[in-house]
Formats: sequence, C-alpha cells, structure tokens
Amino acid sequence: MTKNLQQKHTRYLFTRLLAVLLLGSIAFYFFMRMHAEHMQLKQLELRQRNLQSAFLLQQNNQMPVHITGEYDIVENGTLSPQQLGRPRDTVVFYKAENKNLPFAILTRPFTASGRHYQLTTYVSSTEIDHLIIKVFGTEAFLFVLLFVVIIYINYKTSGVLWAPFRATLKKLGEYDITRQQPVVLSADTGVREFNELNEVASHLIKKNRQAYHQQKQFVENASHEIQTPLAIIRSKLELLIDQPNITEQVAGLLADITEANDRLSQMNRNLLLLAKIDNNQFPGTAAVNVSALLEKIIAVYREHYSGEFPEIATFIQPDLMIDCNMSLLEILLNNLVKNAVVHNIPGGCIKVTLEGHSLLIANSGKPATIASERMFERFSKGTDETRSTGLGLALVKQICQLYHWKVDYSYLDGIHTITVTFKAP
Amino acid sequence: MKVLIIEDEISLLRSIVEYFRKEAYLCEGAGSYADGITKIEDFYYDCIILDINLPGGSGLDLLRYLRTHNKQDGVIIISARDSLDDKIAGLNLGADDYLVKPFHLSELNARVKALIRRKYGQGNNQVALGNLTVDISSRTAFIGKTPVLLTKNEYDLLLFLLANKNRVVSRKSIAEHLFGAEADNLPSFDFVYSHIKNLKKKMKEKGAEDIIETVYGLGYKIIE
Repeated sequence: MTKNLQQKHTRYLFTRLLAVLLLGSIAFYFFMRMHAEHMQLKQLELRQRNLQSAFLLQQNNQMPVHITGEYDIVENGTLSPQQLGRPRDTVVFYKAENKNLPFAILTRPFTASGRHYQLTTYVSSTEIDHLIIKVFGTEAFLFVLLFVVIIYINYKTSGVLWAPFRATLKKLGEYDITRQQPVVLSADTGVREFNELNEVASHLIKKNRQAYHQQKQFVENASHEIQTPLAIIRSKLELLIDQPNITEQVAGLLADITEANDRLSQMNRNLLLLAKIDNNQFPGTAAVNVSALLEKIIAVYREHYSGEFPEIATFIQPDLMIDCNMSLLEILLNNLVKNAVVHNIPGGCIKVTLEGHSLLIANSGKPATIASERMFERFSKGTDETRSTGLGLALVKQICQLYHWKVDYSYLDGIHTITVTFKAP
Repeated sequence: MKVLIIEDEISLLRSIVEYFRKEAYLCEGAGSYADGITKIEDFYYDCIILDINLPGGSGLDLLRYLRTHNKQDGVIIISARDSLDDKIAGLNLGADDYLVKPFHLSELNARVKALIRRKYGQGNNQVALGNLTVDISSRTAFIGKTPVLLTKNEYDLLLFLLANKNRVVSRKSIAEHLFGAEADNLPSFDFVYSHIKNLKKKMKEKGAEDIIETVYGLGYKIIE
C-alpha cells in the first residue's frame, strides 16, 4: 500500500527508533548491572581489609567471629581455593522479619599468629536491586517520552517541510493546458530543492504552453491555407463538369473527384472549426433557446432526409435557455442529430429527451468498432461509414469542454446514448 | 453588364471570369487593393465581387471607399471569414451580399443575378425560359398562364437552375443552396434527387417540356 511521505517517514522512524531505544535499554540494564556488581565487589574487598586489620589488632579475642549480614571468621575453613576470592550470591535468614534476604559474599583466607582463617564479608543485594529497578524504570520512562516526542516532532516537521512540495503538486494537478490560465509557482519556498523543483516545473510548463500554442496556431493556419487550393479545385471542377460533350466515363471520374474534394473541404472546415474553438474565437454568448433550436434542427433534418427516416420520439421541455454561442450550440445539436440518423439501422429508432439541464439522444445502431472512451477523439471512427470525417464527436466534445458541459457516451443492448449536461445557469 | 472581380488568388479569379464568360458579362479582374481602387475610380460596374483579404489592404476598406465616394456599384463580398460578425460588418458597410469561401460558382452566379435583378430589374421581376415563367415578386412559377404549385424548396431549386441555365449544376451546390452550409451534415444529397423528381413531375403535369436534364452522376442542367 502506498503511504504518503509523512506517514512513510514517521513509520520508518518509528520502527528504527523503537529498535534503537529497546536495544539501548537492554544495554543500559546490563551496564548498570555490571557497575553495580563491581561496586559490590569493591565494598566486599574494603570490608575484608578493614576486618582483617581489626582482627589482627584485637586483644584477648574479644572480637566476635560472626555477625549476621556483616562477616564470618572461620578457623581452618574448608572452602576450596576456587571459591576463594570470588564474590558469590547467598541468602541470609532474618528471624525478625522471618524471611531470606539476598547478599553478596566474598571469602578470603588470611593468617594470624600462625593460625589459618577464612574471612567472609557480606554486602546486602537488596538495596542495589532496588536501585537498579528504580534507575531502569526512570530510564524506561525517559525513553518512552523521548520516543513519543521525537515521533511527534518529526511528524510535524515533515508536514511543514513538505508543504511547498504539496502546494506545487496541487497547482500542477489543477493545471490544464487547454485553458489559458497561467501557473504561478513560488520561486522562494525557503528550501533550495523545492525552489529548483518549481523552477524546473515552471520552465516545463512554459515550454509546453508554447508548443501547444504553436500547434493550435499551426492547425488553424494550415486549415486556412488549405482552404484556398480546395476552393480553386472546386471552381475548376465546376468549370470541368460544365464542358460540352463529356463522356460517361469522364463524368464518373469527375463525380468521384468532386466527392473526394467535398469530403476534404468538409474535413478541413471541421478542423478549422475545432482550432477556432480551441483558440477561443467564439466569445459571444447569449441566452439561446435550446428547445426551439433542437426542434428546428430535427424538423429541417427530417425534411431534407431522403429515404427511410428512423422513428423518432421526442420529449423537449419548452423554452429551455442556455448561455452560449448560438453557432456552436447549433453545430453541437446538428452533429448529435446527424449521428443518431446516420449511424442508425434500417427500421431503427431515435429518442430525444431535453429535460432539466440535460439532453439525451439515444438511437439504435450497430456496436461501435472502437472503445467508448475513444469515441470523442479526433479521427477515431466508430463506423465503417466512408462519408464520416471522424470529427463530429470531437467537435461536440470540444464545445462541451469550452462551456464546461458534461458529455457521456454509452452503448447498451443495441442502443447508443449520448448525454449532454448543460451547466445550470 | 460589367462585373469586376477583386480577388488575389489568380487561379480562382480566372475560374470566376471563365464561368461568367458564358453569361455574356463584361468581366474584369483585379488582383490587389491598389489595382481594385484604380479600376473602381475609372469605371462603373454593375457588380463588384470583392475578396476581403487583399495584398495592400482590406476589401472592407475598399468597400468603405466606394460608399463614401457615393458609388452605388453592387457589391458581393467573398471571404473565408464565416463568422456572423464578419457578415454583419460587411453588410453594414453597404455590401449587397456575402458569400463564404469556398463557394460554388453556380451559387455566386445565382447571387450576382439576384443582385442585378434587385438593383436594375426596374419592375421586370420575371425570369422566363420557353413557356416557363417565374415571377420573383410573387414567388410563383407559370407554364403558359397556368400556375404551378411548388413547395419552397422546389421553387428555390427551380430558380437556382434557371440562374445557371445551360450549365451543369452539381448536387452538392444545390444541396448547399437549399440547406446552407449545414448540408455538410447530411448523410447524402439524395434529397436533391427527390426534389428534382417532384419538380419535373409537377411541371410535366402542367404541360411543360422536359427541360431539366440529369447529367450522369454529376448534377442537373436546365436547357433552353
């Protein structure tokens, strides 16, 4: 699963810091234990020296040979040389408290007046154990506190540190090259890397915009330039077909050339139109009566359609007004109505519904030969129809984009449906 | 009838001149703004066909010059600019008609004839061919004295063919004449055929000669 940077950073720190602090605690405990034992040994040795001195200096043997929890002096002791000189652990029973208490003991041999003794000194382990527990507890508390605070500070810091990055990301995400609005990325974020990022991104956007603009301009200029030779060809063809004594064979050739030229003209005109919409050359908007326009287009279309017109069912809410350029709306509606008729099947039907702010045109037809999402691309034809320029739906899409209208296509059970949702005024 | 064509595309200019030769117009051509100005200063034309984008200046300036100098030559603008604003601007400056490029020569011819008829018809608002007469003001066709009841499309079609009599008029130009630029959106121009068929039938019923000819797959022709 992909986490965001802040989460990732925190998670990383969390696991590593936890491991380090745990290992640190364990090490701390052992070091403390070691030092405590060392200290106990020193105490035991100190007592050995003091008691030996006291034993040697005493008179009349009035010094006791045994004090519980303090020392033992045994003449001709039986401990092996391996046990001598090493601290050992033991417990001593205290009657008053009725329990065994832990002690560290050290036994060393010594000689006094020709006699051999073994002296065992005692140091209580209870206090040391308590101290270790208390110190370790304090340390554990500090570590937990450190852990929480470090994670928290880190979380907050990375949030602050990455803020310029997120701001840049948001702006880049909102950027749409087809619209003219510029993208301003802060040149001074306070972080050199982010400044560089913004600089690079700004440069990239600038270059892209230039390329896009040039391309748009190119399409428009090219279409414009192509228009003139097309017009010349058309005029020459008109002169040609008017020549006397044309044979049927020549007439056939001329008819084919004329048709191809007309198709080229139409395609070029649509391309020019697309470029013009792209270049925002349809600024004039007015409240247009979509209902009336749609009724008119359907009526005119039906009148001029020869052959079997599909059965058409219309539900058009009267006097629906929309703010837009009238010519563009006319192009949009014309294209949609045309598609519904042309891409129909013999004995097919069309359903037109204009209600609220949405227009739905559904028609029976063969399934498209291309994927639904490619339907609105330029020159992608969903049919084998040769007269189709492949630009009709691209125009529809372009017009919808211009006005932020929503357009959808779907195909289900032999019915093509196109829905246009006009933005509420 | 004198016609001046101001168009910088020489090939297109030649096409127009050649097309009009059959109409027995006196055609002159001008390829630039300066050339155009010289011609309109020196002569009077019944009709000027004017391109807007000209080397050395705009056709609209030329039109302005014409009207401010009180010259009443008829003007038809031919331009690649097809926006409504351009059309309105041209007509407001005193153009009589506006035709968007690329156009059919047959359409231009019909427009020129309509302009000349409007401007210089002097009450003679009739077009006649054999025993067929079309009265423009009442939009009625007669065979002899008998009126033929035509639909709007049939009437427009007949008048269009008459304007281009003895010429082959393509189906596409008829479609565009009847339907406007939106003819592009039609899946076929077969409807032209059905209009022609109906027109011929109605005229035959009233006893007209069969003057509308079909020219292979190219189009139709009305013959004298």
